[in-house]
Amino acid sequence: MRTAKEISIILGVSLLIAFIFNYCHSAGIAVVGQWDTAQGVVTARAKNDIVIAGVEIENVDQAKKLYDSGNYIFVDARSVEDYETGHIPGAVSLPVGRFEENIAAFLERHPPEASIITYCSGRTCQDSHRLAENLLAFGYDNVNVFIDGFPGWEAEGHPIE
Amino acid sequence: MNNPLLKILTSSWVELVARWILGATFIYASYSKILAPAVFAKIIYGYDLFPAILINLFAITLPFIELIAGLALLVGVYPRSAALIINAMLLAFIISLSINIIRGHEFDCGCFAIDAGSQATFSGPLLIRDFFYFALGIYVFLFRNSRRLCLTATAK
Repeated sequence: MRTAKEISIILGVSLLIAFIFNYCHSAGIAVVGQWDTAQGVVTARAKNDIVIAGVEIENVDQAKKLYDSGNYIFVDARSVEDYETGHIPGAVSLPVGRFEENIAAFLERHPPEASIITYCSGRTCQDSHRLAENLLAFGYDNVNVFIDGFPGWEAEGHPIE
Repeated sequence: MNNPLLKILTSSWVELVARWILGATFIYASYSKILAPAVFAKIIYGYDLFPAILINLFAITLPFIELIAGLALLVGVYPRSAALIINAMLLAFIISLSINIIRGHEFDCGCFAIDAGSQATFSGPLLIRDFFYFALGIYVFLFRNSRRLCLTATAK
């Protein structure tokens, strides 16, 4: 049938270009992503992926231990509104969407030697990773990401403010 | 041909405008998805409807099907088949949106701009818009007169 043939041609050309483009494009992604929150933060696995597994704090208990040690500054990557609604006690708000305008003031208060733990809204959110990447670029050496974020912290019954 | 509505609907100029609107819309819709497939994949994940193994494949291929089918409509290559493909996609969008509206699942539709952050907007107007494009698609598909500005001869 003629229509079937035409549809095959259009779809065939589309798929061919799609896979070639994805393979060549610097923002291309893997054929299968990581979409299971049990395995960590969800990500399409892009070539320019911001999810760096090496800096991740995998569970709430570990984050709580680091929090109790008092040696770490918790930095909230979410919006100011989310921060004001509720955050980990003592956490500093540094929304990743407004990083540029706030980083100078942040640098003044917290020198690059500070140990930092970023968090956002859990494993479906990549803002904490993006913030960590930005902070690393600004000279902070000790940056970790608490991947369960505020929802995980709250679910374990830890204090919030 | 005394019916004025019939006269409008059988006009090749009206067909051209409908085809161009539909084609241009889909080309425009594909643009930001093509530039940021990882963001688009995350939006598909946000629909919470598809198995993990298909999410990236959708994110890689869907924008290019939109682009190529949109281009085909615009320049008039296989316009009936391109309209069919576009309506198949629209039908899938309508079903996905409806399921999430019915179950009250808040999500970012990612229809056009995908860089606006994760905004969960009310999906009702999106659904109406999709039905409008769907009607245009049916019209372009069913149009039987000769079409204007087409690279390939039109199927009768």
